[in-house]
Amino acid sequence: MTVPLGAYVAVSAALFFIGCAGVLVRRNAVVILMCVELMLNAANLALVAFSRKYGSIDERGSVFVVFVFVIAAAEVAVGLGIILSAYRNRPVVNVDEIHQMKG
Amino acid sequence: MTFDFVEPVVFALLSIGVIAGGVAVVMLNRITAAALFMAFTFLSMAGMFVLLGAETIAAFQVLIYVGAITVLILFGVMFTKFSDAPRALFFQRQAPLAAVFVAAVAIPVTLFSFSFTSAPPRPGGGDLPALATSVFTDFAFPFEIASVLLLAAMVGAIVLTRRDDPEEAAMRRRR
Repeated sequence: MTVPLGAYVAVSAALFFIGCAGVLVRRNAVVILMCVELMLNAANLALVAFSRKYGSIDERGSVFVVFVFVIAAAEVAVGLGIILSAYRNRPVVNVDEIHQMKG
Repeated sequence: MTFDFVEPVVFALLSIGVIAGGVAVVMLNRITAAALFMAFTFLSMAGMFVLLGAETIAAFQVLIYVGAITVLILFGVMFTKFSDAPRALFFQRQAPLAAVFVAAVAIPVTLFSFSFTSAPPRPGGGDLPALATSVFTDFAFPFEIASVLLLAAMVGAIVLTRRDDPEEAAMRRRR
């Protein structure tokens, strides 16, 4: 008895929506960044599951996972840079209070 | 005696770890604890990758997510001061509305995702040879673009967080 593909995709969807709820609901910028990471990781799980269980002989899906890793690392570095420079300007991390660039 | 029951049991434990860690990241008020639960979620996810037979991806997951990204976020937590917000200020104002919308989309999608069935398993073996062949043949150009993107992100992060020293700026003006 092996675990069906649907179970992996369901865990991936559940984690994606948990991250989505976190992005919509939390106010802290660093927590929002963490929730975006959770969503990216959920997408990785779906890609690997489909690639391993349904893919052709080459690992196309896993190649996309490698690129998602690259994008996630770049995103965290630049995102934290933006949060830190905004924090230096005005010491808040609450996204409701960061509105200097609002027209 | 067979060990067929091992894989579903391990999968159940790992999925409980993934979901519980994700919920803890969203619900916990202490940011450091949330970051550590995020690392726990990533570790459970690495276990799932091993269960799927993608050992290389699992190794990348531990190195990049658990190693690099968690440490980077913990640094971000330490550099910013969090005042203990009252419980009312913890979530956004539109939280109930957002919860309703997310639940309305999430529950059908999650139920639908159970309907996927897999093709018959193909001959085993690690995922590294196929992955490396794909990356360095069909995806060689995107691979190079990704390296340029990483360089740009590195330079951009340094430029964004560099402190403008007033003395240094004055010296530059004098020159």
